[in-house]
Amino acid sequence: MKIGRLPALFRTTTFRLALLHASIFILFSASLLAYLYYETAGHLGRQAEAELNAEFQELSAAYRGGFDRLNQAVTERSGARGKFFYLLQDGTGQKIAGDFDFLPAPAPVDQVVDVKFEYDVRNLSGQTTRRQAEGRISRLSEGGVLMVAYDMGQLGEMNRRITDVVWRSAVVGFVLSLIGGVVISRSAAQRAEQLARTTEEVMAGDLTRRAPVFESGDEFDRLSVQLNAMLGKLERLVISSRSAGDSIAHDLRSPLTRLRNHLEAGLRDTNSEGPRTALARSIEDVDDVLNTFNAVLRLSRVQAGATGSFRRTNVTGITDELAELYQPACEEKSMTFTYAPEGDLFVQADRDLIAQALSNLLDNAVKYTPAGGAVSLAVKRLGASEVELSVSDTGPGIPPEDRDRAVERFVRLEQSRSEPGSGLGLSLVDAVAEAHRGRLLLDSAGGTPPNIGLAARLILPSA
Amino acid sequence: MKVIVIEDDADAAAFVKRVLGEAGHSVDVCGDGESGYNQARSGEYDALVVDRMLPGMDGLQLVKKYRDAGGRAPALFLSALGEVDHRVEGLQAGGDDYLAKPYAPSELVARVEALGRRATGDIPTTRLVVGGLEMDLLARTVHRDGQKIDLQPREFRLLEFLMRHAGQVVTRTMLLEKVWDYHFDPQTNVIDVHVSRLRGKIDKDFDRPLLHTVRGAGYRLEA
Repeated sequence: MKIGRLPALFRTTTFRLALLHASIFILFSASLLAYLYYETAGHLGRQAEAELNAEFQELSAAYRGGFDRLNQAVTERSGARGKFFYLLQDGTGQKIAGDFDFLPAPAPVDQVVDVKFEYDVRNLSGQTTRRQAEGRISRLSEGGVLMVAYDMGQLGEMNRRITDVVWRSAVVGFVLSLIGGVVISRSAAQRAEQLARTTEEVMAGDLTRRAPVFESGDEFDRLSVQLNAMLGKLERLVISSRSAGDSIAHDLRSPLTRLRNHLEAGLRDTNSEGPRTALARSIEDVDDVLNTFNAVLRLSRVQAGATGSFRRTNVTGITDELAELYQPACEEKSMTFTYAPEGDLFVQADRDLIAQALSNLLDNAVKYTPAGGAVSLAVKRLGASEVELSVSDTGPGIPPEDRDRAVERFVRLEQSRSEPGSGLGLSLVDAVAEAHRGRLLLDSAGGTPPNIGLAARLILPSA
Repeated sequence: MKVIVIEDDADAAAFVKRVLGEAGHSVDVCGDGESGYNQARSGEYDALVVDRMLPGMDGLQLVKKYRDAGGRAPALFLSALGEVDHRVEGLQAGGDDYLAKPYAPSELVARVEALGRRATGDIPTTRLVVGGLEMDLLARTVHRDGQKIDLQPREFRLLEFLMRHAGQVVTRTMLLEKVWDYHFDPQTNVIDVHVSRLRGKIDKDFDRPLLHTVRGAGYRLEA
């Protein structure tokens, strides 16, 4: 017969965790109870044993003075009604002295034995009760037998109770710990279940679902936060690719319409130079379309992490070159250009991507800053583990409410609609930041309205 | 120059042939990798223009095989795959330049001509001369008509590139690639500003300009 799979309950993490929990709990409580036993019942037993030893030693000392001395000592002690009772027999098994009447075990041939036995005590009203006793029987060198014993009485009762308590608590403890284990691991499993449910719902198409976060900062919260961040990104990507479809249509429709118009006009134009002009214009229109396509392709590749060779790179080297590349263009537009490097700073980076990102930021700065304004490029260490590359200008900036949107694909804010560009510049910078495990922050450069300026900060982990 | 174009798309091949032909070069066209390789091996060509994706043998393999067999003519890759990674692959396979589709005809001509110049200019030079303009590559000095011109290091490299390709059109993209070693297209006219500054230094105080702007294409340094 084949052994079937374990029932579902036993296969769950809950069950295994509960079992583990119970086992660990039992291990602990067993050690605790053992210790308890050792310190109470064990201790009392050891004490009685020690007293018995002492008693025996005294009697041995007496016996060294001869059988009569022993007889005398036993008789005295029996009369004292102490804790112990005694029996002294001669070689023939005849009782010589003592307050006990029989030997509970056969006398050893020539050694000492410890015995446990029961005996009956008759009380005043004539009832007999069975009592427990422990003792030691010793063969004397002259052939007699000496027994010293003590009534277990209280001690026996206590011993039994303690043992009982220990066993009962072990059983109760096991059950409780099993229950506790189930409860604890159930709550863990429930969190896992919640996460599973969230992902199921997202897969079913509801991209807005998020895993609950309980602010406890535990592993599950961390997992939830991570999962939510991932879902957020997924949602943004889905939305942006949806809107990208619309935007591509929009961004391509206008140049394509223009292209068509120019060709149409060229066809109808009777002027000899007409067709040539129309064709020249058409080429410009087509170039627009191609540029947009290239930008989209490039952005997709960067977002997919499918491009770039990342190696430890001195970003100051790149900013040096870009400062040199852009300074003349700024001065041409009568803008002040400042560059503030801060020594060599290393990042795990792709040189061309970083340069492209900075170039996009600088292009924007040059494009939107009015003549007479200022553009600055800076690179500095940020804390112990990050490097910040920043481009700021004194242009109109981006209103706070539009900053998140500005990095989305094809989003062109109102003020920039009239300017040429694909609306992919900042998206690409954002994608480059992400490809480098960094981030892009947009902020005002702190100017006075309407020219609050834009401070774009590309923050990358240093290498 | 005698150029062989190995491109399977007949329209694209005809376009390349026409553009290079109009620029005064003689062009042979071949439609697939295998026969393109054989033709390139047998003929005396000054440059190869190779599409990356070809039936039979792809462009990378073709150029690699050509180089392994001792072929020395410079090769330019044409490809719809324009990313830097692809560019690097092309150069590693033994290509000398890489042009992403779509490209402007002037860009193609400029690059093919630049390749031809490179092939013939293998002898190391220490001195470049264009008209009255002299560049000493060892002393890193520039004179025009005996008059010293002070240049920034980047301006020096820019002028060096222009002088090495004197008489040819060089495009803005070529300048960004070869002088700055970056592979992307800046939106702003950054390169133009650099060129106009250089022009201010080498042409301003002289009657005859040497550095010409070629409309819609780029620049040409010519005596």
